[in-house]
Amino acid sequence: MRMDTVIMGGGLSGLTCGIALAKRGQRVTIVASGQSTLLFNGGSMELLGHIEGKAVTAPLEAIGTLPQSHPYSKIGADNIAALADEAKQLLADAGIDMEGSAAVNHWRITPMGVAKPAWLTLNENMRIDSLGKLPAKHLVLMCIRGFFDQPNGMLAQGLRELGFEVKTVEFTTDDITALRRSPSEMRATTLTKRLVSHNALQRIADQINNLAGEAEMVLLPSVFGQTDSTDFQTLQSLVKKPLRLVATLPPSVAGGRMQTLLRHYFKMLGGNYLMGDSAVSGQFDGDRLLSVTTAKLGDMPLRANNYVLATGSFISRGLVADYERVYEPVFDLDVDADGDREQWTRFDVLEPQAYSRYGVATDGDLRCMKQGKPIQNLHAIGSVLSGHDAIKMGDGTGVSLLTALAAAKNILSGK
Amino acid sequence: MAERMQLCNISDNNFEECTKCSICTTVCPVTAVTTDYPGPKQAGPDGERYRLKDPAYYDKALKLCLNCKRCEVACPSGVHIADIIQHARMRAGEGQRASLRDTMLANTDLLGKVANLVAPIANATLGLSPTKLVMDSVMAIDKHRTFPAYSRQKFTTWFKRHAAKQQDAFSNHVSYFHGCYVNYNFPKLGQDLVKLMNAIGYGVHMLDKEQCCGVALIANGLYKQAKRQARTNAASIRQSVNIAHRTVLTTSSSCTFNLRDEYPSLLDVDTSDVRDGIMLATRFIYNLVDEEKVKLVFRQDYKRRMAYHTACHMQRMGWQLYSIELLRMIPGLDLVELEQECCGISGTYGFKKENYERSQAIGSVLFKHIEDAKVEAVTTDCETCKWQIEMSTGLPVENPISVLADALDVDATRRANSI
Repeated sequence: MRMDTVIMGGGLSGLTCGIALAKRGQRVTIVASGQSTLLFNGGSMELLGHIEGKAVTAPLEAIGTLPQSHPYSKIGADNIAALADEAKQLLADAGIDMEGSAAVNHWRITPMGVAKPAWLTLNENMRIDSLGKLPAKHLVLMCIRGFFDQPNGMLAQGLRELGFEVKTVEFTTDDITALRRSPSEMRATTLTKRLVSHNALQRIADQINNLAGEAEMVLLPSVFGQTDSTDFQTLQSLVKKPLRLVATLPPSVAGGRMQTLLRHYFKMLGGNYLMGDSAVSGQFDGDRLLSVTTAKLGDMPLRANNYVLATGSFISRGLVADYERVYEPVFDLDVDADGDREQWTRFDVLEPQAYSRYGVATDGDLRCMKQGKPIQNLHAIGSVLSGHDAIKMGDGTGVSLLTALAAAKNILSGK
Repeated sequence: MAERMQLCNISDNNFEECTKCSICTTVCPVTAVTTDYPGPKQAGPDGERYRLKDPAYYDKALKLCLNCKRCEVACPSGVHIADIIQHARMRAGEGQRASLRDTMLANTDLLGKVANLVAPIANATLGLSPTKLVMDSVMAIDKHRTFPAYSRQKFTTWFKRHAAKQQDAFSNHVSYFHGCYVNYNFPKLGQDLVKLMNAIGYGVHMLDKEQCCGVALIANGLYKQAKRQARTNAASIRQSVNIAHRTVLTTSSSCTFNLRDEYPSLLDVDTSDVRDGIMLATRFIYNLVDEEKVKLVFRQDYKRRMAYHTACHMQRMGWQLYSIELLRMIPGLDLVELEQECCGISGTYGFKKENYERSQAIGSVLFKHIEDAKVEAVTTDCETCKWQIEMSTGLPVENPISVLADALDVDATRRANSI
């Protein structure tokens, strides 16, 4: 099967790259081994959140100070602003409406009530532009009775520490109570499927209108709208006070929605998305990749002019560690990782961990290295890249989006 | 060294790889519509931990699982969640007799043989409201369901009388595992395959001995019978692939998945040596076209707008690409690829009275997508999806092979392939 480009990995970076290429008329196939880590995303994108433990206010400026090994440096600090605009537009074209600027970070609220710097946040989610200027003083946190995915106490405590006056109110409706028959499934992604009818939303609105009291703003867990923001908008129209959602523990409704919308958009542009399949090996001719064998297509490998590796980090099995080494399991590409296993981790899990920065080695154009030489038609993008740290630097989603767009440009220009 | 044992300590179902991320639950069509089912994570790897300690932890709600495999497709860690659930059901069902209703539904070929003999009577009777009421109340087969009509002439009878003789004249050959549906209900699909393969220079042959693949037997707990039939089929397939060097083609995604993957994983009937020799006809034909070994020429006057539905087992096999890409070769076909959703029938599941409402609730998302697509017909590789979609949307549903055969300019294709 012959394509213009085959992308291995169907998460944020793979889909973004696929969309950018398909929009320019390329025939693209994405091989996605299961759902992606986008389902762990609460509805925000980060460009650069922290450098050495300090919160970044102006990411575009801070990016200029990153070392040459960071993916942003490879795609050129001067190109970041334009790529960030392009990424925001691509998300909007897919139906993902987010607010934010690459020049100045705002703050998103984690499910545990911590404020973290962010670049883009879904319109309906709680966001704070400046910690000195809160969007409201008095909040009511509406807690769903029996709900698993929101630690209410910690969330309220965190919000109070940010300066909010927070009242927590527990509530339920018949629709929610019915779900409690299966206590293991009182989860965000299950609830969202039951809270779609106008009547179900009206029952929630009634509770909010009765219980919200004097609060200026109502906070709810993000369980509305698995396919778009219509359910949230309906609910807002039924509630008298301004409403904001707070990210839940994963799997998240917002993340699932973003994944679905990006996949729809990609397929609408004519792309093939092979869900539940994975690349297992490649056939090389010198410094070129000729074809990729997948688990499901078996003896009929995928052939393309260009290939993109977007298989993610350890959690998505784009990287694997055994007792001996860290390796890239599809092509055995060169990886940037310590040889000595003792160096991989630190005992305190909250400390920066060396393995977070491990990834495949690339040249200045994001082409993968194998035995010290770049593979001419194989780019790496997203979390599989070395030199960044999604957890400690808050650069994961930004690297995924921007390297995807940069690689697409390289491919289209024949670089 | 002791810690290295971890590397060897991986079960067949990859059960240890579960990270409890719960992504499987987000795609489960049953969890979406009922609180009676604990969801794939709980029913699969989580519950298995308890069941390994004590089989008494088996939860009867596991019978609500459709075995659609969507959880396995979604799992980022490669855990065979549905297999874990199926195995648990098998272990719990050992020594128990299946009900008359389940036995009847499961024996698709036995039912077909009898019904073929009396097709006009069977079709009329099975469609009558008194019969449906009796089936509903006595047999617990839901009255809303209409049994697929039985053909007066079996596919194999047609083949013997009208096609078998011509097949040896071709220079290339394949075998055809037609399955129960083609044989008893819808011989036209088999005839379409013969028409298509003959037009590109391939003779089509029956297997030495074909029995029902057993997918419905497994779903209804008749494992011993399923195993017996699997052994018979495996022997015939081996004869075709290894001795006669004929690839075994199929036109049903569920039969194919069963022959290739469920035989070894659920029934312990090893088909690994011939697995690559069993495939959907769309994959086989796509590959021939892709490698420029054959050409397909389509009718100029063909014009239709259809939606392609990826059956759950088709997605589990990962082969929808072949059917879709082949269909896209038809110039007059405006093809809409539907978002993958479960239709809710899952073989015999939706026929059972206790499952009817759940089955329709599960399918409602897909039916809405089909309605929104504004198409004149739907195409899918699964026959039970066909029944469900036809009953629920009123639109005709065709197998991609039938669509291709219909759109094909047979004479021009034969000329293009010098036949």
